[in-house]
Amino acid sequence: MNPLPDWQEELALLAKAYTDEVPSKLAQMRSIWSQFCEQKDQRLLSTLHRLAHNMAGSAATFGLSSLSDQARRFDLFLKKILDTQLPPNNDQEQQVLAFLDTLYRVSPQAQVEKVTVFEDSQSLGLEQTQRGNPSQRQNKLVLIVDDDPALATELGLQISYFGYQVKIFNHLAELNQAIDEQIPAALILDIIFPEGNLAGIEAFERIQKKQAVHIPLIFTSVRNDMEARLYAVRAKGDAYFTKPIQVGALIDKLDALTSHPQEEPFRVLIVDDEASLAQYHAAILRQAGMVTHCVSDPMQVLQPLHDFRPDLILIDIYMPQCTGLELATVIRQQETYVSVPIVFLSTETNQGKQQDAMRLGGDDFLTKPIRPERLIGAITSRVERYRTLRSLMIRDGLTGLLNHTHLKEQLDLELLRAQKYQQPLAFGMIDLDHFKTVNDSYGHASGDGVLKSLARLLRQRLRQTDIIGRYGGEEFAVILPNTTPVAAVQVMNEIRDGFAQIHHYANGKEFTVTLSCGIAGFPDYGDQRSLCDAADEALYRAKHSGRNCVVLARPQKHREAT
Amino acid sequence: MPPLNRILYVEDDPDIQMVARLALGMVGGFTVEICSSGQEALTKVEAFAPDLILLDVMMPVMDGPTTLLELRKLPAAADLPVIFMTAKVQTHEVNSYREIGAVDVISKPFDPMSLASTLRQKWQVYHESLT
Repeated sequence: MNPLPDWQEELALLAKAYTDEVPSKLAQMRSIWSQFCEQKDQRLLSTLHRLAHNMAGSAATFGLSSLSDQARRFDLFLKKILDTQLPPNNDQEQQVLAFLDTLYRVSPQAQVEKVTVFEDSQSLGLEQTQRGNPSQRQNKLVLIVDDDPALATELGLQISYFGYQVKIFNHLAELNQAIDEQIPAALILDIIFPEGNLAGIEAFERIQKKQAVHIPLIFTSVRNDMEARLYAVRAKGDAYFTKPIQVGALIDKLDALTSHPQEEPFRVLIVDDEASLAQYHAAILRQAGMVTHCVSDPMQVLQPLHDFRPDLILIDIYMPQCTGLELATVIRQQETYVSVPIVFLSTETNQGKQQDAMRLGGDDFLTKPIRPERLIGAITSRVERYRTLRSLMIRDGLTGLLNHTHLKEQLDLELLRAQKYQQPLAFGMIDLDHFKTVNDSYGHASGDGVLKSLARLLRQRLRQTDIIGRYGGEEFAVILPNTTPVAAVQVMNEIRDGFAQIHHYANGKEFTVTLSCGIAGFPDYGDQRSLCDAADEALYRAKHSGRNCVVLARPQKHREAT
Repeated sequence: MPPLNRILYVEDDPDIQMVARLALGMVGGFTVEICSSGQEALTKVEAFAPDLILLDVMMPVMDGPTTLLELRKLPAAADLPVIFMTAKVQTHEVNSYREIGAVDVISKPFDPMSLASTLRQKWQVYHESLT
């Protein structure tokens, strides 16, 4: 059963076809440029401009946003040259070549070479690239401008542990060109420079004037006076940190300024015996970006309910075999679906009937025929509320990671998947070393900061498909699907290493914290219980071999023998 | 308000043509005719009789604004609502397109899943503005 509507598949096919075409498009641009260099015919330059312009428009439509961004810059650059009606000078010619190189670098083909999924542990190096850089398409460039080289380097290092790409400049004058080269995801800018006590702010105002979009900006300064803060606000600074800088808080701010998490589309299950009407409602909801699945026989609803995992169920009240009210009761009697919103749809205007429907666990009652905006609105607000509630139920309040119960549920699901597709899976348990001492010496607020920084690091370094949970207290756990235990040890060792280098601050004091980790894998361990026990035992051994290390559980056969 | 059924889209980029067919035809359920150039649009507009014309701004030989001015000379297209599709979304440019008679401007890249509903909204706004 495929919940995707045909056209989404169709779009995926088109996107694939487009992606395959990118190298030949880039080759065409290169060839036109070489022709231009020989013939100096302005019309060739115009053609090149049009190709760049088209690529800027089409690449983003197919989801290749970095290719589109670069093509757009190339488009604007060529436009400027064309507007002068003069042939490009030497410098500009070099820049054209640089643009053509950049386009190739950000093309999906070049990206694929870097992120080929590993087949065995030998090609681990490739897998690392993918994990280390979880969001290839996201701009993660952060510019730091500070005339204190030591401070800038240290800050840059700290930020880079969290998956950001950092460039450091010690002179204000360098900033302009850096931004011309690539617009950063965020800018961290000192305020006082040799040029003046507010020179950082003034320089930024000049730069921002030339940019169409606001560059997320964090000011840092030893100044903590009203004048500096006011000027920073007027310059549209997004945040202001006084030195010495609280790195944890700064990273929080960076994350907030640079991440644009894409929400998963709402999933709506539609149960209506009249198939055409179900399709019509489905079409309206799909237009609003939702994913739908239609069932015309209410007796067949249980399987799609399980497979499709709807955020909301839309049920027609009058159906043969089983009424909507009966169906709602059946659904509500199952623990898993107690909180999924159910919305009834009917021509019923009888108030009594409507109240019955609500009493049986319906959340809303919509009367047919319904205006598309009303349908979309009613469903959107229900799903949003459901998702918020669900997130409170399954996530840990401090770190935003999955809580213990939900992590275990996910482990069950992932194990089933691994069995079905005969793929490996790794499960890791992580424990902070001497965490009690941290809490005792620096206070619980600092301890919380440490927990948050580990959560953030795990999110940054692991893949989107990896699952991270807070197991309780200072214990965390990760599920790495399609990963061998040996590969998982490598990944976790990198994370352990990175975490040990993060500086935490409390009351003007600086400290570091280490972690220990135990890893066990499927199919060595076939069920949730033995997998957790084995990882736990490995963690225990890690603690006893001096902490700050990652230990792999012994294969089960071996363990039974000893 | 008359229904929006037939759309003529003038676009030179074959990739965008493919997505437009999908976004307008399959997702939106419209009857779509795609022309690769302004000239082609001028020859096809009468026979196709669209409800609405979408015009790419930047095309070789005859650009979007020129195509619009040429379309206006044809009796079959003199009063048809036209929407520009463009990556240039600076305000003064948008205004200049309106001045030459465009109903609205849609910025590129567009989202193929929501283009149809965007057009329906603009269609409604356009008709409300007429009454």
